[in-house]
Amino acid sequence: MIRNPESTYRILFYFATGGFLIATLFPFYYLAVIALTPRGNLYDVGVTPNGFNPGAFIEIFQIAPLHHFIFNGVVLALLTTAIVLVIASITGYVFGRFEFRGRIPLMLIVLAISYFPPAAFLIPLFEMLTGNLTVFGLSSPDLFNTPGAMVMPFSALFLPLSIFILTTFFSQIPDGLEDAARVEGSTRLGALYRVIMPLSAPGLATAGVLTFIFTYNEFFFSFLMTDGSADSWAPLVWGILQYQTQYGELYNYMAASALVGMIPVAMLVLFAQRHIISGLTQGALKE
Amino acid sequence: MSQESTTPSKYAIHKRLLYRIELLNDTQFAYLLLIPSALVIAVIAIWPLIRTFEMSLHADALLSSDLTGAFVGIENYVEIVTNERSAQMGSPFFDMSQPFKSALIVTFIFTLVSVTFETLIGFGQALVLNKDFRGQRWARTAIILPLAVPIVIQGMIFYLMFQPDIGFIVDPLSNMGLISSTPLANNFDATVIVIVSDVWKTSAFMALLILAGLQSIDRRLYDVAKVAGATRWQQFKRVTLPLVLPVVLIAMLFRTVLAMRVFGLIETVSSCNTVPSLSCMVVSTFSNGLYGTSATIAFITAAIIAVVVGGYILKYRESAVA
Repeated sequence: MIRNPESTYRILFYFATGGFLIATLFPFYYLAVIALTPRGNLYDVGVTPNGFNPGAFIEIFQIAPLHHFIFNGVVLALLTTAIVLVIASITGYVFGRFEFRGRIPLMLIVLAISYFPPAAFLIPLFEMLTGNLTVFGLSSPDLFNTPGAMVMPFSALFLPLSIFILTTFFSQIPDGLEDAARVEGSTRLGALYRVIMPLSAPGLATAGVLTFIFTYNEFFFSFLMTDGSADSWAPLVWGILQYQTQYGELYNYMAASALVGMIPVAMLVLFAQRHIISGLTQGALKE
Repeated sequence: MSQESTTPSKYAIHKRLLYRIELLNDTQFAYLLLIPSALVIAVIAIWPLIRTFEMSLHADALLSSDLTGAFVGIENYVEIVTNERSAQMGSPFFDMSQPFKSALIVTFIFTLVSVTFETLIGFGQALVLNKDFRGQRWARTAIILPLAVPIVIQGMIFYLMFQPDIGFIVDPLSNMGLISSTPLANNFDATVIVIVSDVWKTSAFMALLILAGLQSIDRRLYDVAKVAGATRWQQFKRVTLPLVLPVVLIAMLFRTVLAMRVFGLIETVSSCNTVPSLSCMVVSTFSNGLYGTSATIAFITAAIIAVVVGGYILKYRESAVA
């Protein structure tokens, strides 16, 4: 017999919130426990660290230039985000605001690109980006071990998502605003840059933040398009794997480097969380 | 001097160009704007796919230094789906008698189970985070945080958790007989662990998208429902669910496509030999230099995703539009 449905509901609510928080945060806690346990004690570790060795967070930088790998990852993600936003905003504007012949087939092509596993792009892109492709007697530039070799495949992978976010976003800006600007004597391109682009800032921010996060987190091309050294622009993936392959199984270093490697994207989520949600709320996924 | 003579003419060209653009009809203007994007997409996405497709019609080059061998038409496709390439792939494509070893079944199990749980948990998280309470901002950040975890770190976490001897998770579970003592090397256990780690991370992605959907529901609808005497359950069923369903369906579609391409997570948590997804097969044949077979599996994967997405759109078109 439930006497007071409101308070029962409140209790249920706090139980659910607590449960979700514990389930979400537990893996991070587990990482911290492993990272803080001295290497000699890394067996049957309980719910608290088996000893206390915060020095692991410093030692990881002595073994491998983790900061350099993180820096590479951030630069690659920024470059990719810039390219993706430029292309996706123009494409999204066209798809979102024009009714023209061939619109649906073109959108389906963009959607279909996202069906392919990254591996489907690998061989030709590898050929092209290592300078082994010859078109009309000109060979392609050798970009292996440079940012270009990763930024191009990253852009191909993450463009469809941004194009779809921005298409829905642009389609929701009222036609009246653009028409008014045109009547006021603004040119087509003027209306695009003075009216549409400023209004779409929240959508651009959302698409940008998501692209940055996905690129920083990417595995496949990050792993295959460099030789794995920090000087060859190898991103985070290689930084973390240093502790797994080269030096045996240094579990506490693996855990510590995993926590450190997350910092850039964790900060981004912390500060941009509200903007991502409002950007998605204002447009993006509404039909 | 030369500055003065060129500036006006440059300006004139500029003006004439703008005027030309004004004269275009919508279709022409749309295509004009699409030219730069189309060029980039053609070079980094469409051309590679066409090239890969061409390779999928050629035999593997086993002896020569070329990438692929002779033209064989659809022979690669036929041999892969009839399990005649199991030896090269390391696992059969489809074999009911060993479901956790065949690529197609593993991929489907992974996708179905993880997307289902992600949607349910993400929905629950979004409902909780949509309420106003003290510390709501921190709770939101915490619950959305896994979204930002790089795949290699996500894999590392679950690799460390289920590594026997280190932690406190494997022993109790294996003593209860729920998992084997080396779960990451067991087909079934490793598949479950990969699914759990995927659910942990991507529930956050679902929660984010569904929360955005919940936020855009007009609050006044709830006031109307309350005045009409609706209970909380009725409010959820009659107001929340129908209005947020399109967002949920789009989010599920997105996740389905990504889940069917799973690779990096498997490679970092367990290994492609233990949990052989379709993308794993693409990579393992690629690493062995079997480029024809590798290209073919990539295209089969895309075709399967296309069929699933197509079926999905057909089935849910009405509820997504309504």
